[in-house]
Amino acid sequence: MPNYKSHANGSRKAQSGLVSFGFFVLSVIALYLPAPSQDEVASLLRGSLLRPFVLAQEGLVRRGIHAADTEVLQRQLDSLEVVIANSNTLSEENGRLRGLLTLSNRNPAQYVAASVIRSGTPGSESMFMLNKGTRDGVTNDSPVIMGRGLLGRVLEAQATRSTAMDWTHPQFAVSAMTEDGSIYGLVQASPGRFRESDRLLLDGVPFQEELEPGVTLVTSGLGGVYPRGIPIGVVIEGSDAQEGWKRSYWLRSFVSPGEATHANVLVSQDGELRESNSWSEGDSVVPGPATLPEESASGIRNTEASTRQ
Amino acid sequence: MRPPLRIWGVVGFLILLHFGLHLSLGLSESAPDLLVVALLIAAKEVDIGRGAGLGFFLGLLDDAFSVLAFGANTFAMTLVGMGGARTRDLFVGDSLFFLTTYLVLGKWMRDFLHWVAVGEGLRESFVDTMLIQSPISAVYAGVVGLVVIAISGLGWETVR
Repeated sequence: MPNYKSHANGSRKAQSGLVSFGFFVLSVIALYLPAPSQDEVASLLRGSLLRPFVLAQEGLVRRGIHAADTEVLQRQLDSLEVVIANSNTLSEENGRLRGLLTLSNRNPAQYVAASVIRSGTPGSESMFMLNKGTRDGVTNDSPVIMGRGLLGRVLEAQATRSTAMDWTHPQFAVSAMTEDGSIYGLVQASPGRFRESDRLLLDGVPFQEELEPGVTLVTSGLGGVYPRGIPIGVVIEGSDAQEGWKRSYWLRSFVSPGEATHANVLVSQDGELRESNSWSEGDSVVPGPATLPEESASGIRNTEASTRQ
Repeated sequence: MRPPLRIWGVVGFLILLHFGLHLSLGLSESAPDLLVVALLIAAKEVDIGRGAGLGFFLGLLDDAFSVLAFGANTFAMTLVGMGGARTRDLFVGDSLFFLTTYLVLGKWMRDFLHWVAVGEGLRESFVDTMLIQSPISAVYAGVVGLVVIAISGLGWETVR
C-alpha cells in the first residue's frame, strides 16, 4: 500500500517538524527566562547530572595543591612567619594606642579557604565555583580574595558550594580609592580584544585629581559589598574612555583570574564583618576614613549594589 | 546499515569525554568541542525532532555554567541539531569531503549562533571571534570528529 506508507511518512515528518519547532521555542524561552529561573535551572543541572564532573575537578584541584612544590611552600611559610613576627609588635603598639584613645577593638576578619573550579564551557568565562557554601559562612556577595588582592565576589551561595564571578565579568564594579583615601572612583571591568587582554578601568576620578602610574587602589567600602582596604590593582596609564570633567585610568589587577586555583572567601557573621571595614586588619593598607561628598557616596553604593544578581 | 548501539555508544562516550576534559580537567579551549561533534554524529542518524531535542539537552548542559548568557548554548545547539538532522534529507553520501565540511561548518555555525544569541553587550568582535578563533576551533573539532568516526568504525568507509 504505497499511498498509505507515504501518508504515514508524511505525517511522521510533520510530527517531527512540530517537535523540533517545540524545542526551538523552548530554547528561545530559555534565552529570555528571568535571571532567577535561569539560575535555578543551571543550579539543578550542576547539582545533578554534572555533579560527578564537578566533584572530579574538586578532587584534582585538591591533589594539585597537595602536589605543589614543597620548597615553594616552605619559602612562603618562612615569609609569612617573618610578616607575623613583625606584625606582632605593630599589633601590640596598635592595641596600646587604641587603648589610649579608648577605641574598641576591631573584629578580626574571617576567611574560608576554598578551591576554585572553572567549568571551561562556552559562556562561563568570568565565573567559577567554590567548594564552600553557606554551611561554611559564605553568603551571596561575599568577596573572594586571592594572593595579593581582590579576585571577585560570590554570586550565589548554596549549602556546600558557591558560584562566583571574577573581575573580568562585565557586571563587576567596585568602589575604589587610593591607599591614602584621598581620591575615589569606580573600578569596572573593561573587556579586551581577547580574554587575556581584559583590564580594569577606574572611572569617575575628579578632573583636578591626577594619578601617577604605579599608584595602588584599594576597595573603599562605600558600596556595601566589598569591605574597605582590599587591594585591587595599580594604575598603568590614563584613559580617554570617559570625557568631560572626570578622568579615567587603566589598572593592572593584582590578581590574574586564570591563575586562581585556590582562594579565600571573606565570610561574615550576621553582616557584622562586612560593615566593620575590617579586611585591612593586620595589613594596615589604609589609614583613617576620608571624607567624601554624600551624593558621591550614595551614587557609588547604588552602582556597586546594582551589580548584584 | 550502521549499528545504532555503536553510534549511541560513541555519542555517549563523546559527551562524557567532553565534560571530563572541559569540566573535570578544566582544559577549556585546548580541548575540542566534543559536544558538537557528538551532536553532529547523532543528528545524521535521527529525524529533525530528535536532533533538536538532543541539541536542546546538550546545550542546556553547556549552559549550566554560563552565567553571562544562559540559553545561548541551548539556542545554538538546538538549531545545529535541527540542521544536522536535515542534512540527511538534503545530501546523500559519506565522502571525506562531505564529512569534513559537515563537521567544520557545523561547529562554526554553532559558534556563530552562540555569538548571535549572547547579545550585543557581551559579544566580542565578529572578526576576532568568528573569523579567527572559531575557524580554528572548527577545524580542530572537525579533525577530532573524523578521527572518532574512523576509529569507532561507524561505517564511513571513505574515512578509514
